[in-house]
Amino acid sequence: MAEKIIIVKNVSKTFPKVVAVNNLSFEVEAQTCFGCLGPNGAGKSTMMKIIYGKCTRDEKPMSQMSIFGYDPKDQELKIKYQSGVVPQDNNLDDELNVIQNLMIYSKFYNIPARLARERIAYLLDFLELSEKANSRITELSGGMKRRLVIARALLNNPRLLILDEPTTGLDPQVRHLIWDKLRLLKKEGTTILLTTHYMEEAFQICDTVMIMHKGQRIIEGPPRDLLAKNIEKYVLELLDAGALQDKFNDSMREQVRIDRSQQGTRLFSNNYDYLKTLAGSMESENYYLRQTNLEDVFLKATGRGLSETQ
Amino acid sequence: MHRRRIINTLRKLTTQTTKLAKESKRVFPPLYWRLYSVWYRHMRVYTKNIFSNGLPPFLEPLLFLAGVGLGLGTYITQSMEGLSYLEFLGTGLLVTAAMFTAAFECSFGTFIRLEFDKVYDGMLASPLTVNDLIVGEIIWAGTKGLFFSFAVLCILAIFGVIHLPYSLLAPLVGFLTGTMFAVISLLITSFVRTINQLNFFFTGFISPMFFFSGVVFPTSNLPSYIQPLVEIVPLTHSVRLVRAVCANHYQMIHLWDLFYIVAFILVVGFFAVKRLRRRMVN
Repeated sequence: MAEKIIIVKNVSKTFPKVVAVNNLSFEVEAQTCFGCLGPNGAGKSTMMKIIYGKCTRDEKPMSQMSIFGYDPKDQELKIKYQSGVVPQDNNLDDELNVIQNLMIYSKFYNIPARLARERIAYLLDFLELSEKANSRITELSGGMKRRLVIARALLNNPRLLILDEPTTGLDPQVRHLIWDKLRLLKKEGTTILLTTHYMEEAFQICDTVMIMHKGQRIIEGPPRDLLAKNIEKYVLELLDAGALQDKFNDSMREQVRIDRSQQGTRLFSNNYDYLKTLAGSMESENYYLRQTNLEDVFLKATGRGLSETQ
Repeated sequence: MHRRRIINTLRKLTTQTTKLAKESKRVFPPLYWRLYSVWYRHMRVYTKNIFSNGLPPFLEPLLFLAGVGLGLGTYITQSMEGLSYLEFLGTGLLVTAAMFTAAFECSFGTFIRLEFDKVYDGMLASPLTVNDLIVGEIIWAGTKGLFFSFAVLCILAIFGVIHLPYSLLAPLVGFLTGTMFAVISLLITSFVRTINQLNFFFTGFISPMFFFSGVVFPTSNLPSYIQPLVEIVPLTHSVRLVRAVCANHYQMIHLWDLFYIVAFILVVGFFAVKRLRRRMVN
């Protein structure tokens, strides 16, 4: 069995007005990518911050944490020295240029200047920023800033890379570039922990996905397993449910699971042909027949989570 | 047999030392380095705009001297605490320059880094503790105080207002003054919710101190009910100490001043760190 880089057991975090993390437990194996998925306010970021000591967890006798064998409560420096963090906000020093930003952080890790310059050159090349080495931060695009923050997190060659929404707000090209780099890092032995809203991101790079809602874990597993175990294979999305109104009867209910929301009606089924016949009777702009994806699992899971906690 | 055993032991030893070397590389930097790296960060950002940041500290005392020497000074013929008015005010400026720069750095500067630029969030993800961050910042503000005092000293010396070499020690008092106003400013900032509230700190605390701590005129003639207040506020002690340094004339009271300053830094600094910690780590 692989080494466990992160062990989190029964961890809670209560803010004055809200319970951000509620008795959460999970484990991350070495050299895997673990993704936390959840809507805004699900407690993903708070959980990340607890891991690197930016937040303190509630004092509870049951709660237990181990990151490389250290507890962030009293050994945050040991953890941070071996980790790289990409926070949600970019927080680069606008007054300084790209290289200077990285040089300052290399000082925090006590990397000798000559070694730091080599490492920085390598990382800028790795994240395709070499041309911008002497640019001011204000001249960089959003995607470049994000890549620079990732480079900054990699300065110390971390064993664990923590990314809080690494690709939110970026264009598809940059997102794919970042995913490629993360896959490469994983291959080289880095353990990755990330939070995201993007189902595709989780599907593309995560070995394990945990869906969180209101500070709790809803489901967890490899993305493909989550799909196979938690949702039907196909979905027929109806923009105008009225067209099929007369067919909503018991025999249909045996074949499909109906999910009505304000946005429209979705019919889930493993029987592709049946859904196709249903769709055949409609105008083509009124429906969309497709394979289910992680987003469907997510909506189903967080929807159910809502009713459980209410 | 015997030789082989020695070789084996030696080999084991070398692998162990290389392992140890690798292990020690996995140890986070020591405290002095962490403080230095925080200091270095601020120094680097400050010196990035060396012209616009480094010149005003020299221009400001120049303006003051011109105003007093050419204008105001001609009306004030009475000596103050045995000094000409130019020397009296000039020596006071040595510490007020340090006060203002440290107070700005650790109020508006800190608040912007904390709430707007989120600089600390990034730094706290590297191997630094909140304590490292705040203490490093206090030392940096002290350094700025030292530099600003030095700038005033240069101008005063060029125009022959003060006497070398004793006054060369004045920037050290500038450092202490900067540190003192760094800790009090950080403590105030820890209470502030919106940046505009800091205006009260400057109008209500810093500006009055400029006038009632013996910088512009001696405090000895102030009404007796104000005297205790004068003794409580921090700048009074800086001013007294820096004048003693410039004149190279020390009395027992200056030991009290030094004690006050050190105690102030330690006590207020302790609470500033304690309160700011809660704002940075939640």
